Amino acid sequence: MPWSNQGGGGGGGPWGSPPGGGGNGPSPWGRPPGSGGGGPQTPDLEELLRQGQEKLRKMLPGGFGGNKSIQLVGVALLALWLASGFYRVQADETGVVLRFGELVRKENPGLRYHWPAPIEAVFTPRVTRVNRIEIGYRSTTNSVETRRGTSNDRDVPDESLMLTGDENIIDIDFTVFWLIKDAGNYLFRVRDPEATVKKAAESAMREVIGRTELQPALTEARQQIETGTLSLLQNMLDEYQTGIQVTQVQLQKADPPAPVVDAFNDVQRARSDRERLRNEAEAYRNDIIPRARGDAERLNQESQAYREQVVNLAQGDASRFSAIYTAYIQAKDVISRRMYLETMEQVMRGTNKVIVEPGAAGQGVLPYLQLPQLNRAPAPTAAPTVSQQQRR
Amino acid sequence: MNRTLIIIGGILVLGMVLLSNALFTVSEMQQALVVQFGEVVRPIRTPGLKAKVPFIQNVVFIDRRMLDVDPPVEQVILADQKRLDVDAFARYRIHDPLKFYQSVGSELVAEQRLASVVNSALRRVLGNVTLLAVLSKERAKVMADIKAQVNEEAKDFGIEIVDVRIRRADLPEETSQSIFARMRSEREREAAEARAQGQEQSQQIRSRADRERTVILAEAQRDAQKARGEGDNQAMKTISDATGKDPQFYAFYRTLEAYRNSFRNEDTTMVLSPNGEFFRYFGSLTGGAGPASAGQ
Repeated sequence: MPWSNQGGGGGGGPWGSPPGGGGNGPSPWGRPPGSGGGGPQTPDLEELLRQGQEKLRKMLPGGFGGNKSIQLVGVALLALWLASGFYRVQADETGVVLRFGELVRKENPGLRYHWPAPIEAVFTPRVTRVNRIEIGYRSTTNSVETRRGTSNDRDVPDESLMLTGDENIIDIDFTVFWLIKDAGNYLFRVRDPEATVKKAAESAMREVIGRTELQPALTEARQQIETGTLSLLQNMLDEYQTGIQVTQVQLQKADPPAPVVDAFNDVQRARSDRERLRNEAEAYRNDIIPRARGDAERLNQESQAYREQVVNLAQGDASRFSAIYTAYIQAKDVISRRMYLETMEQVMRGTNKVIVEPGAAGQGVLPYLQLPQLNRAPAPTAAPTVSQQQRR
Repeated sequence: MNRTLIIIGGILVLGMVLLSNALFTVSEMQQALVVQFGEVVRPIRTPGLKAKVPFIQNVVFIDRRMLDVDPPVEQVILADQKRLDVDAFARYRIHDPLKFYQSVGSELVAEQRLASVVNSALRRVLGNVTLLAVLSKERAKVMADIKAQVNEEAKDFGIEIVDVRIRRADLPEETSQSIFARMRSEREREAAEARAQGQEQSQQIRSRADRERTVILAEAQRDAQKARGEGDNQAMKTISDATGKDPQFYAFYRTLEAYRNSFRNEDTTMVLSPNGEFFRYFGSLTGGAGPASAGQ
């Protein structure tokens, strides 16, 4: 078992260049079947031993001077065995070396050596890689479906629906990012740490949501939920000695569940309706009030104008009167007669005139003067009866 | 020479076989029991290279890591008669491999036993709490209670329970439906309220605006009338001040002006008696005439 791990981490593996590793002489198993073209990475020691034994057996019966070849074979075997201890720790890995199953040391990235197979074994977990676990959904980013164009995440309602503190149900998708903090604990203290993270995360999230009410969970408490879940989850994982550091809990989605999402959206719509109605009313107000103020200003200005007008007219009239009066006072009769006549002249010039002699008998009407256009019925005058004559 | 070689070889092989049977490694994730004829001779709890008597003794490896038990979803009835589908899981370590080996033997058996222990503890503890308690602050305490109870029983298996956690606690399908219905009705209530509030605010704003407009206009009219009145007042005062000296002449003067203004229209037809003052010289040279009468 340790072999498979070691081989996986070592890239080319110690068997990539066995003759170089062995250093001397042509060895019959310079190219062991396993190493051809970098195929299976796991060198099978038993297979090699078996081959070695077979060769040995072949040599022994017919072997004069076989002693030398046995020595050669032995040296080559030993060299190969020792060479199998080289391994490489990649930049994002840590090498964890076990001697007879016991953790003895940890190695930083680089080319390293450990005692070969039965003595020591090495694990190289990737300690700097941030892993992600999706809960409540499965993203299809790297799957076949993306290539077909459907990039929608698949929802997992069993994981995503949970009860809130006020006995509502909420649909939550979230992602947990974690990395290996302690490679030893990660490898040896817990079986299947990744599944542990997932279960613990689900449990932590549900506990946090169970303390939160629906409305805040949907809106402003998201940050709180993330941090609450993170600390709870980290506590659990520390308690389990998983050697895992949770770097982030990210809420992907916190929505009302699908069967009620319409009702929730309707609330949003109703809220925006409310806004709309208010805005419309404000628009109405903003429309009529300035107009009214304008109208008021017009009334104001008109009345001011009127006041100025009548005052000024009166002053004008008064001063004119005063002037005329000054003249009048000096020759009352003449001036008044002149004024009268001038006025009558002016009045008479412009109008149609019918002059009627008031007869003694009262009925007789004698038009002294008939003007060509007499088309309107004049109001009856005081004393005489007027007969009208119309001409067209 | 060949014979000696074979003998040496034989001894070597024999030694190898014995050695490989006597030595064994216990890895970091394991613990082991050395068993002799079915009887446990000693437990090994530390990793490393270990030895035993070859062929007579053999080794049973037992996991030392934290293991997981995930019993199936269990429907429990809470203290407030609500049903809840609870999915719990427990994490445990094999604490005493000897006891473990004697009482349950294998992990598979242990898991089954633990699952039923966990579920019965769940039912016992949850039967005494309400849904609200499970959901909220008491959840941790509930889980601690369950853990304590499970631990008590698991001790006999040489197992130490690290943690029992409720992963999911969901209402059964029918209850979920009624919760959805309630949530929906709550939202509908909220939506109706929001819409009505919209109407309310709209009417408020509009009616206030209308009122404001009316008031503005009325005030403006009031001020306008006031200004007009002031103007009229001042005008009359001016006139009366000027004419106070001779009201009769003013009457004469103003009447003439009124004549001029009112008969300005060309369409006016006057029916006159020739007796008027104006026609004084119309009939006679001396001008002895009566009163004039004029009409429109």
